[in-house]
Amino acid sequence: MNASVEITELDVSFFGRPALRRVSVSFPARGISLILGRSGSGKSTLLRGINRLNEEFEGCASTGRVRVDLGRGLCDIYPESCRGAAGDKPEPAAAGRAQGSGEERGVQALSLAELRRRIGMLFQTPNLFPMSVYRNLALPLTLTGLCTQKEAPDRIRTALEYVGLWKELRGRLDLPAQGLSGGQQQRLCLARLLALEPALLLLDEPTASLDVHASRHIEELLRDIARERAVIMVSHSLSQALRMGGSVWICEQGSIKPACPEKGGAQGFAAEKNLSEELLAKLLE
Amino acid sequence: MSRARASNGAARPAPRNRLRGLPLLRFASRFAAVALLGCLGALFAFLLFKGGPVLDRELLFGNTPSLDAILGLRPVWDGIWPALAGTLCLVLLTLCLALFPGIGCGVYLAEYAGPRAKALAGAAVDVLAGVPSIVMGLFGFTVILFLRRSFLPEANTCLFLASACLALLVLPVLIVSTREALEAVPRDLRLCAAALGLSRAARLRHVLLPVAARGIWSGVILALGRSAEDTAVIMLTGVVANAGLPAGLGAKFEALPFAIYYITAQYQSQEELARAFGASLVLLLLAGGLMLLASRLASGYRRRWAGGKA
Repeated sequence: MNASVEITELDVSFFGRPALRRVSVSFPARGISLILGRSGSGKSTLLRGINRLNEEFEGCASTGRVRVDLGRGLCDIYPESCRGAAGDKPEPAAAGRAQGSGEERGVQALSLAELRRRIGMLFQTPNLFPMSVYRNLALPLTLTGLCTQKEAPDRIRTALEYVGLWKELRGRLDLPAQGLSGGQQQRLCLARLLALEPALLLLDEPTASLDVHASRHIEELLRDIARERAVIMVSHSLSQALRMGGSVWICEQGSIKPACPEKGGAQGFAAEKNLSEELLAKLLE
Repeated sequence: MSRARASNGAARPAPRNRLRGLPLLRFASRFAAVALLGCLGALFAFLLFKGGPVLDRELLFGNTPSLDAILGLRPVWDGIWPALAGTLCLVLLTLCLALFPGIGCGVYLAEYAGPRAKALAGAAVDVLAGVPSIVMGLFGFTVILFLRRSFLPEANTCLFLASACLALLVLPVLIVSTREALEAVPRDLRLCAAALGLSRAARLRHVLLPVAARGIWSGVILALGRSAEDTAVIMLTGVVANAGLPAGLGAKFEALPFAIYYITAQYQSQEELARAFGASLVLLLLAGGLMLLASRLASGYRRRWAGGKA
């Protein structure tokens, strides 16, 4: 199996309290990978370990190895010092250092900011900047150096068209983004991510704050996006896992395991065990 | 059924207590707000009543023609124009000296400092905030004495010294307001900016500072008001009763708070006292005008940052 993310013995702790314990997992290069588990099981920490966002939290220490495919094969994203003994705090601005085969060389010059740009992340609640719709999309594009102010409108239009917002917002790009509905805001966040051309998407319960209709819309978009790139999604909802398909992992007390190694996916798991969705949900809790 | 009723009955007293407490709290808060507005209104009315009748060209320029006085072509002997100009220079120079270190220190404490540095610098800022203004004035005066006795015998109290001492006085306000405004930026917004691939500097410059701008500007406005009204510091560091328009950074100067103090300390007639009230009104208008300008600048900046397609 081609992997988009390969995690080996990842330990993450905050102020000495472990959040992830020796997690080893590999996510496929295409399609949706779902991580299920109850609150506090370490799902979001695992997700943030993939784009090194845990380092933005005080008292965080990570050890282990995380390799991500950003288009040039698997590359180590943590500095070498983090791969050894536990307790070493990663340097926030350190670039990932390549190790091993020739195809891993590409990450040497990759800065932390560039790494995060190429691993897009969508949060539970739409996190829009308190500025206009246009500026929300243009600011990261221009600040990351992906395009100039002149080129930005075309990219913005393409991204908005992809998430189906262009028709709705065409004449309102200069209005405050926070005035949009919850579903529109989350789609705008998705458009902002896609405009940055990420190689991989991390989604931290992206539909948790949305109503059913808006959730379905986002799910459709995600299924479409997952055809071209890897999507790793954290969810609370087993019904969502059943709808989305893809491979499923269960996160529990800081460790992770596949929901059904033989058949793969939540549907296979449910069918094999002959369990109703409600019962399965109870078991997962 | 009976159990449910019993549990309902047990739960009742708490909401009743809350209901009993809330109107009192509501009344107390409303009373505090109304009292504040009442005090402010009474102050304005009193100053208007006392100083309004003398608020004219003569109060500002005395017998000197207005244009000559403004351009400094002829001295103003019995008007408060030099004091007004001196206060304006003092406030602007103080802000120039205090803005960068104040906001910079606040940014450092909020964004870059480790826990130990935060605690140390935080304590230092608290101590500085607790220094009475007369002590700050005395410090400035001592600095001049030291300079005169050591390697700068020509040194004297002046506009620059007064501004520097005032800048030290308002520095904690700027530091604390900047730090608090930045620390109040929602964590989600910080994470989002980081996750989008913005560098630390870009996050600070383009997201955090603009979001925190309102809080930072509140600090600037407070610092502005403080530097316009403080008398104790400038009394020991360069203000005089008759200096004319400020002639330079190293010159003595006049200032409205000192002019008000000077007139009220030795007035001979009710007309002279009325001039002091007039000067107070002018000081209030000057401070209010500068604050209005500052908040206009702040809201304009925020509008430019947040809105539009560019």
